[in-house]
Amino acid sequence: MRLFEYQAKDLFKQYGLPVPRSILVNDVDGIRGAFASLKPPVAVKSQVLAGGRGKAGGIALVDDPTQAEREARRIFSLAIGGEKPNSLLLEEAYPHEKEMYLSVTLDRGDRAFVAIAAAAGGVDVESMAGKVIRKIPLDGIDSAFAIEVATLLKLPPIEVAPFVSILLSLERMARERECELAEINPLAVGKDGFLMPLDAKVIIDDNALFRHPEFAKLHPEDEFEGEASRQGFAFVRLGGDIAVVGNGAGLVLSTLDLVGDAGGNPACFLDLGGGAQQERIEAALRLVNRLPGVDRILVNIYGGITRTTDVAAGINTVLAEGIVKPIYARVSGAEEEEARKLLAGTPVRMYRTAPEAVEAVVKGQ
Amino acid sequence: MMLPKKGDAVLVQNMTGRYGRLHTRLMLDYGTNVAAGAAPGKGGQSVEGVPVYSTVQEAVDRSGARVSVCFVPAEFTLAAGMEALNAGIKLLVIITEHVPIRDELRLVELAQKSGASIVGPNCPGLIVPSQQVKLGIMPAPSFSPGNVALFSRSGTLTYEIAGQLTAAGFGQAVAVGIGGDPINGSTPVEWMDFVQNMDESRAVVAVGEIGGDAEERLAKHIEKSGYRKPIVAYIAGRHAPKEKKMGHAGAIIYGNYGTADSKISALTAAGVRVAKTPAEVPGLLRAALS
Repeated sequence: MRLFEYQAKDLFKQYGLPVPRSILVNDVDGIRGAFASLKPPVAVKSQVLAGGRGKAGGIALVDDPTQAEREARRIFSLAIGGEKPNSLLLEEAYPHEKEMYLSVTLDRGDRAFVAIAAAAGGVDVESMAGKVIRKIPLDGIDSAFAIEVATLLKLPPIEVAPFVSILLSLERMARERECELAEINPLAVGKDGFLMPLDAKVIIDDNALFRHPEFAKLHPEDEFEGEASRQGFAFVRLGGDIAVVGNGAGLVLSTLDLVGDAGGNPACFLDLGGGAQQERIEAALRLVNRLPGVDRILVNIYGGITRTTDVAAGINTVLAEGIVKPIYARVSGAEEEEARKLLAGTPVRMYRTAPEAVEAVVKGQ
Repeated sequence: MMLPKKGDAVLVQNMTGRYGRLHTRLMLDYGTNVAAGAAPGKGGQSVEGVPVYSTVQEAVDRSGARVSVCFVPAEFTLAAGMEALNAGIKLLVIITEHVPIRDELRLVELAQKSGASIVGPNCPGLIVPSQQVKLGIMPAPSFSPGNVALFSRSGTLTYEIAGQLTAAGFGQAVAVGIGGDPINGSTPVEWMDFVQNMDESRAVVAVGEIGGDAEERLAKHIEKSGYRKPIVAYIAGRHAPKEKKMGHAGAIIYGNYGTADSKISALTAAGVRVAKTPAEVPGLLRAALS
């Protein structure tokens, strides 16, 4: 789960990391009041999860309340990666000479958390010059570790102590709160060698949330994503007109590829999960049936532990409720022929292979 | 890494749970020697005639099992995995989904120390059709004995591709679900080393998906190692959006990291034949073997 910048900065504060003074504002009416209590210039920052906020125009530097209101109005209605902000962060600008990069992140290939630091920050971590990467032991790091990183970065002596303190706090936060990523980019360096995180990106390990109930209520939930998560489905909205439902993440992913290759636009990715039973199929079909923009439903089931007869029975139940958009189904595997019989005479279009079903659903025939 | 043989004793952790019971029966039906179960506080019970013990140590002592299939819920998987590794389990297959990353890292560290292998978590398990050994939840009819080694990051897609291979006359020497999480107990590189050296296998099918750099690492490793056995790959997620977790915890693209295109071009450059769809896999394999 990715945190919004303001949530990540609240977390930073709990771990003693410095952050610029800021106020979260939920509507344009609150802008003047917030601006008045901050020292200009002030950055007006869109609180969206999508990356590339700055480039997309989601951050503006303002000097007076009128300008702040105008920019706030613009940013509130600016969608970044399809996402409009529910709130803006007004934050005091921090005068600085240069910018660094620092993160604690999972290195999947090396199966370890690593600290990544660079003396010159930038947008693209991959291509950052002179970056230092150090493997972090599972039980955490000490000052010697942090000093070594500072030395490898060739930091001037005045910056070493603040850097060590920030790295130690960031690592402790990432470990205790089970972050997949805790990133400061940029980390501003002031005239006096003081270091100030200007942005904060934190992703919490979803699978560890049961140990961190404090994060559970941080996100406004999309109605459909909320329903899907209560049902235990893996669900992602994609914005097209063909709902894609299947059992198994890889199978649904490969079905999206088939739909995309055939020129279709998936409305969603819905993985029923392994061993899906009749009620789950029914719940999934009801959910995608009322998802805005959907006008056809593609069901791709490979029967193994999931019984295809359960799938067929589930489809029949929702058909009887009279609520369903056209269904194109590829049902294969265990008890396939019985499933086929159960659906004979219904409006469901049945196919033996995934490519056939996809071709038909994309053409809408 | 040692693959179990016909008749080797197998332990099931959390045998008395819903999935533990169901799959104990299905593994027994396949011919696997499920010899003991473990579930805290359930010692003295039995499932499908198999005795259940309260601790893994007792189950291991009584049955001689060195292989365990773990159905313990995610919150307790770390504890159960440590219990198994400390009791002398050498192959630990973790089916459980939603295990926290830091718990997985601890298990990987402990397995390395104790000279054990982990398959998973968040995987369908491992099957050796010629030995009637099924350690996991895969549907038996999709698989048949043969000489293709199949490993995959996805469950149902493994069944789908195994089913198509079987239908095309390509049985499997071994099929392994590596797992859909960011951290795998054993990695595609480790499996490639293993199956390239496995006498019973003539060819390899590797199924990957978006997220991470396991396939890029695999491609580099293939180039370095100069393998002789033909390799066919399939990568799911060419049309997946960025920054969205696509079902599996590990199936997520960040920026340009973890894209299908990057994986496909790395594998292609390493001489691997990459299928565009699962249905193309048997044809490419036939071409590679001829």
